Amino acid sequence: MRTVRFQVADMHCAACVMRLEGLEDELEGVERVEASYHRQQMEVTFDEARLPLEAITAAAAKMGYPIQLIE
Amino acid sequence: MESLSFANLLVLFITGLTTGGLSCLAVQGGLLASSLSHQVERDVAASPRRSAQLAAPIAGFLLAKLAAYTLLGFLLGALGSVFQMTPLTRAVLMLAVGVFMIGNALRLLNVHPIFRFFNLEPPKFLTRYIRRKARSSSEGLLAPVFLGALTVFIPCGVTQTMMALAVGAGSPWAGAAILFAFTLGTSPVFFAVAFLTTQLGARLEKNFRIFVAAVTLILGLVTVDAGLNLAGAPFAVSRLWQANSAAPTAAAALADENAPLVLEALNDGYAPEVLMAKAGQPLELHVVTNNTRSCSRAFVIPALKVEKLLPATGTEIIQIPPQTAGTVMPFTCSMGMYGGQIRFQ
Repeated sequence: MRTVRFQVADMHCAACVMRLEGLEDELEGVERVEASYHRQQMEVTFDEARLPLEAITAAAAKMGYPIQLIE
Repeated sequence: MESLSFANLLVLFITGLTTGGLSCLAVQGGLLASSLSHQVERDVAASPRRSAQLAAPIAGFLLAKLAAYTLLGFLLGALGSVFQMTPLTRAVLMLAVGVFMIGNALRLLNVHPIFRFFNLEPPKFLTRYIRRKARSSSEGLLAPVFLGALTVFIPCGVTQTMMALAVGAGSPWAGAAILFAFTLGTSPVFFAVAFLTTQLGARLEKNFRIFVAAVTLILGLVTVDAGLNLAGAPFAVSRLWQANSAAPTAAAALADENAPLVLEALNDGYAPEVLMAKAGQPLELHVVTNNTRSCSRAFVIPALKVEKLLPATGTEIIQIPPQTAGTVMPFTCSMGMYGGQIRFQ
């Protein structure tokens, strides 16, 4: 399991938080997503063996949120 | 506020129709779409009856949502009525609501990260539960109805400001009416979007954000002004407007010193807006209603701590103690929406 943090652009309400956290149900291999509207960040815990990091970025971009890895 | 006029409710309905629907789409529209997805998958054959089959769960979702928000408005209004002691406390509440709205508008405009605190985030366990429920919901009418009612726990920004307004209304029925009218307004947009993807919902919201912010900002400024009005503050915008418009008809009323002051409470305000009165002597103010239905019936003179619910038709007599020359005594309805002043000379 690996936990990474992303900066999320274009998050403009609590609804976006809910949408982004929906990734934990949509992406196979994602364990947990914690998004914060106030910090404009999202923390993702996922299984590297099952899911490449790029798949998370791509899935978020598809939802309309460009994300950038910060740690 | 004992009675909301039809015009007030129409404004709320249109707010729901325009800004509310769009701003709530991203999350609640998504819920609706995912609760319907099973239905859509099942009817993948796309028979001509598909839309009719989808209409029932969408209507179920929206009706449950409407009922839940109306109940919420009732409870918030009841909460507001507990604190509704004096016009001044209500004025403070209105000011807070107005500031909340303006903060939300500035948040939408991305003016500064600090304004993000004006958006209240529902607790994580709740959003997770609702989201999972939407995904796992089986076909049938029960799931959409249940989810529709649950949306009450995940209000979007504009809805939160409407909830604040319901508290400010200070009566359970007014609170219920406010959220009913607003939620009803959001329904057509939801109904339309139920056939589209959640993706489009998010895009729509982004593109209309400036518009949503502008409307929220205007609502916020109007509410702050109403609060100032209700507090009897001389610098409320609507009051400054009155101060600059000395009504010539009102001056004539001063000619007969012993005649009572007569004020008409109409559906859209008070006439005349400026009353001239003689200083240094007690006066009678006759407030006349004639089939008046709007909130102008809840008549307040903040300076005298007078608060009367006028009859729909009739005359209420209010005794005014002697005032010094130059005194300006504002009067208003209990929501601070309509008002005027008595000038003593």
